[in-house]
Amino acid sequence: MGPILALASNTYREAIRNKVLYSIGIFALLVILVGNFLTDISLHNDKRVLFDVGIGLLSTFGLILAVFTGTSLIYKEIDRKTIYLILTKPVGRAQFLAGKMLGLTASVYLVLGLMFVLLVGQSLFMGTGAPPQLYKAALLILFEVFIVISITTLFSSFSTPFITGMLTLGIIVIGRLLPDLKQIILTKYQADAMRDLADRLLQVFPQLYLFVPNGHDFNGQYVSLTAEFVTWGYIGWTALYALVYSGIILMISAVIFRRRDLT
Amino acid sequence: MKTAKPAQSPLEIRDLVKSFRTGFLQSKKVTAVGGLSFSLEEGEIFGLLGPNGAGKTTTLKMITGLIFPDKGEVKIFGHPSAEVKARARIGFLPENPWFYDYLTAREFLRMAGGIFSLRGPALEKRINGLFDQLGIAHAADLPMRKYSKGMLQRAGLAQALINDPDLVIMDEPLSGLDPIGRRELREIILGLKARGKTVLFSSHILSDVEEICDRVAILARGRLREIGSVESLLDMGTNGAELEVGGDPERIGAIADTLALEWVRSMTGGRVIISADADTATVLRAFLDAELPILELKRHRRSLESIFVAQSEKAKKEA
Ligand SMILES: Nc1ncnc2c1ncn2[C@@H]1O[C@H](COP(=O)(O)OP(=O)(O)OP(=O)(O)O)[C@@H](O)[C@H]1O
Ligand SMILES: [Mg+2]
Repeated sequence: MGPILALASNTYREAIRNKVLYSIGIFALLVILVGNFLTDISLHNDKRVLFDVGIGLLSTFGLILAVFTGTSLIYKEIDRKTIYLILTKPVGRAQFLAGKMLGLTASVYLVLGLMFVLLVGQSLFMGTGAPPQLYKAALLILFEVFIVISITTLFSSFSTPFITGMLTLGIIVIGRLLPDLKQIILTKYQADAMRDLADRLLQVFPQLYLFVPNGHDFNGQYVSLTAEFVTWGYIGWTALYALVYSGIILMISAVIFRRRDLT
Repeated sequence: MKTAKPAQSPLEIRDLVKSFRTGFLQSKKVTAVGGLSFSLEEGEIFGLLGPNGAGKTTTLKMITGLIFPDKGEVKIFGHPSAEVKARARIGFLPENPWFYDYLTAREFLRMAGGIFSLRGPALEKRINGLFDQLGIAHAADLPMRKYSKGMLQRAGLAQALINDPDLVIMDEPLSGLDPIGRRELREIILGLKARGKTVLFSSHILSDVEEICDRVAILARGRLREIGSVESLLDMGTNGAELEVGGDPERIGAIADTLALEWVRSMTGGRVIISADADTATVLRAFLDAELPILELKRHRRSLESIFVAQSEKAKKEA
């Protein structure tokens, strides 16, 4: 655990000083600030919309940050040869990946945390209060970001940032649309074997729609955050899902990365 | 259970082979290291020499576990290099080390120490000691993207020494350093040896190697061409001598030709190489009879450079 923490804390430090993270973070804060004040004076002068827009932005920027910073995470280490200084010390390659991933997650969480504080501050300022649903939604975003970072780690353990970015984006889209894809498959194929196979296949993808339970995902209904359906139990098992899924992804990454020549 | 051996070799390399695939669809195969074996003795300074592309960096990367050999094995203090444990007692300075842009040298060294479970005041003291010793204390808290090449080299050495390693491995440690820096590094290496450490480094700077190495290996095209103590390599075939003669080079040359000896022009006249089978007295008499001044007569020694060049060219011809 010692080496993982040492690596994670330096990855975190390096990341929060990086201009990319800075600028995306500052831009995100601005957008939330402006976006929500605009929402307030718009037609839907409704706290429901304020929360949905705010959380939507938080989620979007969370994913952007995860993809942007995650894609070059391992690639840059190899490209700049900084990895030579690390892996020639008594650090396993799996530990290296875990440390990098945790450090990056922490830095993205920091930016998301700041954005969330701003969102809550704004809600309080506008007298709408900050209900538990807001916190629950924010937690779900953190879980999703964790999964996405693990996926970028997987791809970047063997490919270039561009390919990693494309593959990750593809997986995000699929993961978010899984219920729709399932629906399409169910209507298209009648054979049970086919349905079974498709179902299994879809299970492999991260069930990212679990982390955005607003919008039309639930039986085609517009479900807002203000609805009470996101229970702490739901939060608990989605957290577990995120941990287990990311853990498996990390293990696969480690297996791929283990025998790779670092030239 | 194995009984404890009195002296465990710091490094044993056996039949190491590594090739890379390059080119369109990885169709071309380049053998970077083709069957390399040698081992280090505890407490020695070992120089790995060879022309560009000889396979020095590839060898050092296999030793440190960055790349994996196609064949053969590497053991560090008895542990196969693929094991994490093998890296506990080594320090590695890569060729042209590069760091994280936004971290300071102190932060990097703290992390390096953290990997070895060093922490607290003991770690801080070690870090400050290394910065002082390597002359980068003034830049310890500067982001490393602002470092000059020589400063990066020094920071690289600092991180390699953080765990007080018993085997220090360096890839071209002298490159990028000014003459003072090179002298300092030579002293650091000798200091490590004085404390019983083993040092393995690759280099092109033969004068430094000649000065500090106990043994050297010359590598060309991925194969070992020569290995031995610097003294023994230099003394090989040294029965001949060199005669420095003053005066007209044309006359010196004419006499040398009649004696069937090689000669070259020099600043003061000519230098005649007296081969091992020639009689030195006869040669001397010939020049004295011609009334040419004898300026110097010395035992002919090969230089490391001449061995290096000869081996590189031999390897090229053989290929
Ligand atoms: N990743 C790689 N892909 C393809 N070929 C490689 C790779 N790494 C090294 N080589 C080839 O292997 C050979 C040995 O290279 P290596 O870097 O070990 O040489 P070197 O002795 O360190 O040379 P130098 O003195 O220039 O540093 C060279 O022909 C090089 O082109
Ligand atoms: Mg090299």
